[in-house]
Amino acid sequence: MKNVVVRTENLTKRYKNTLAVDKLCMEIEEGEIYGFVGANGAGKTTTMRIIAGLLAPTSGSVFVDGIDVSKKPLQVKKHIGYMPDFFGVYDDLKVSEYLNFYAGMQGIEKNRCDTLVDSLLELVRLTHKRDAYVDTLSRGMKQRLCLARSLIHDPKFLILDEPASGLDPRARVEMKEILMELATMGKTILISSHILHELSQICTSIGIIDSGRLVACGSVREVSDRMSHSGKLKIKVSSKEEEAVKVLLEIPEIKGVSSAAGMIDVDVIGQDDTYADILRTLVEKGIPVISFQPQESSLESVFMQLTEGGNGNDN
Amino acid sequence: MTINPILKKDLKTKLRGWRSTILICCYVTLLTGILFLYFASSNMFNPRSYQSFNPRMAIDAYNILITFQFALLFIAVPAITAVSISSERERQTLDLMLVTATPARRIILGKIMVSIAHTMLLLVASLPVIGIVFFFGGIGFADIAKLLLFYLLTAFFVASCGVFFSTIFKRNITAIITTYIFLGLVTFGPFVGFLIYAMLHQRMPGGFNPVYRDFVTGLFPSPVFGYISFYFGSYGGYGGYIFGISDVQRQIEMLLAAETGIWKYMHPWIVNGLFSIISSILLIFFSSLALNPVKRKY
Ligand SMILES: Nc1ncnc2c1ncn2[C@@H]1O[C@H](COP(=O)(O)OP(=O)(O)OP(=O)(O)O)[C@@H](O)[C@H]1O
Ligand SMILES: [Mg+2]
Repeated sequence: MKNVVVRTENLTKRYKNTLAVDKLCMEIEEGEIYGFVGANGAGKTTTMRIIAGLLAPTSGSVFVDGIDVSKKPLQVKKHIGYMPDFFGVYDDLKVSEYLNFYAGMQGIEKNRCDTLVDSLLELVRLTHKRDAYVDTLSRGMKQRLCLARSLIHDPKFLILDEPASGLDPRARVEMKEILMELATMGKTILISSHILHELSQICTSIGIIDSGRLVACGSVREVSDRMSHSGKLKIKVSSKEEEAVKVLLEIPEIKGVSSAAGMIDVDVIGQDDTYADILRTLVEKGIPVISFQPQESSLESVFMQLTEGGNGNDN
Repeated sequence: MTINPILKKDLKTKLRGWRSTILICCYVTLLTGILFLYFASSNMFNPRSYQSFNPRMAIDAYNILITFQFALLFIAVPAITAVSISSERERQTLDLMLVTATPARRIILGKIMVSIAHTMLLLVASLPVIGIVFFFGGIGFADIAKLLLFYLLTAFFVASCGVFFSTIFKRNITAIITTYIFLGLVTFGPFVGFLIYAMLHQRMPGGFNPVYRDFVTGLFPSPVFGYISFYFGSYGGYGGYIFGISDVQRQIEMLLAAETGIWKYMHPWIVNGLFSIISSILLIFFSSLALNPVKRKY
């Protein structure tokens, strides 16, 4: 069994009249990239700030590497790299000075700083901006600089709050590459995002949060499998197109059918065996099926289903 | 013990370029200008004047200088410290500091050291000007060393107040205003209180005849009380007439001389210096507590 790097126990945070995080129990194992997904105001940032030791929970506790964050915050901070959803830069510092400052704040000795800063700048592809002032950097560069800052003390666990927000597609790909590189370096990463598609590509596990509650968690596969979710199905027939549509519409799990030139698009709600049933029915009715393609169920639809059901959209 | 990273960063960025050099030059020029104006206004440079140089004038000049610097300390130090934490908060860099291995107390101390470094820089830069006065006689090295120590302690206290209010208030402007109001109360409040107390007691039978320890008990928090120690009035028999403080000062010196036991050593600047140290330590303690995120409830 792998080491659990982060564990939250009934984590609850209540602001005056909003319950931002509600009895959240979460476990992140060593080496995982844990995707933290939720709509605006779901409580992602609040949870991450509590884990980083920046906010006291109303009740419940967080353990990083088995250490209680509220008991020994300074000890825990050595293991955590935190990148918030804003930049936080000083306008009168150069890129290398910026990193050197945080190296100093992390208690790294002076003689190690220069090589450390150079290697980090290389990692985030900012070596050419070493002597530029921080406020002259583009948004994407600032974001990468902030990532470098969160890595300065070589933490084993990274908390990244929407590291890809506001980036163009190219910068997103770059950010993704850097994250993959970090994962191969053995870092455990907690990353939040709205862009589910991207998360499903790089994450090993996923947790879906809605109104402060963790409504689903597990590996990407598990999460999407566990749900009876709506999916799409593409069927190609050589003839008898109209008859096929009629047959399909009689099946209760099918919510919609549209057809054109031998291609039939079907909306289905159900599990894997539902698809098998549909195929069997078609064949039994003598429809000449050429191809039968369930579309890979996207995380997106799981997400939509999980978050729209409960309390609905509150903003 | 490594140098505080916050102090290091501040020195690096503030001393970059010519800005601070120009600032220091302006400051020293201003001091020299004030001195020159004072001497010029007193007929000293008039060749037809029969009046020769009066050592009293050097002492007056000294009084002007230290008062000017004392006032400057009360204006400049809060301006730097009252925004120190709240501006980090507004710039969103406070969280980034708090997630590092640097404890809150060290962040607070770093901010205080920044402001003290700046004040000391100005004070030391002005030493040559004070030296001119020294050259004309009357004031010794020990006096200047004591003065610097007292200013250092006062700066420490003022800086701690600024950082404290900067920590507990979220917005720059609230922190600045509260700091100045608080410092105004600490500085002038005891005098007002003492005056009222004196007026009330004068009407009672026996009148009001305070001894030195009454002054200490009533006025110890006020830095102006400590400053009286350095205001030259009664030493050497010269009466100081600038700002009309000399009478109070002379009376206090006389009362001190009449004291017995340990009170004999409780010079105004020592009493107030001790108060500054103790309250600074308390303020730093509470600031760190307020800054500590795990204990912070908002
Ligand atoms: N300082 C605060 N005071 C009061 N309420 C707050 C505070 N911070 C957050 N909240 C509330 O807590 C809830 C969760 O906010 P949080 O920022 O954690 O959401 P999020 O999932 O990060 O959203 P987003 O995707 O928009 O970043 C929201 O309803 C928000 O209004
Ligand atoms: Mg957020």
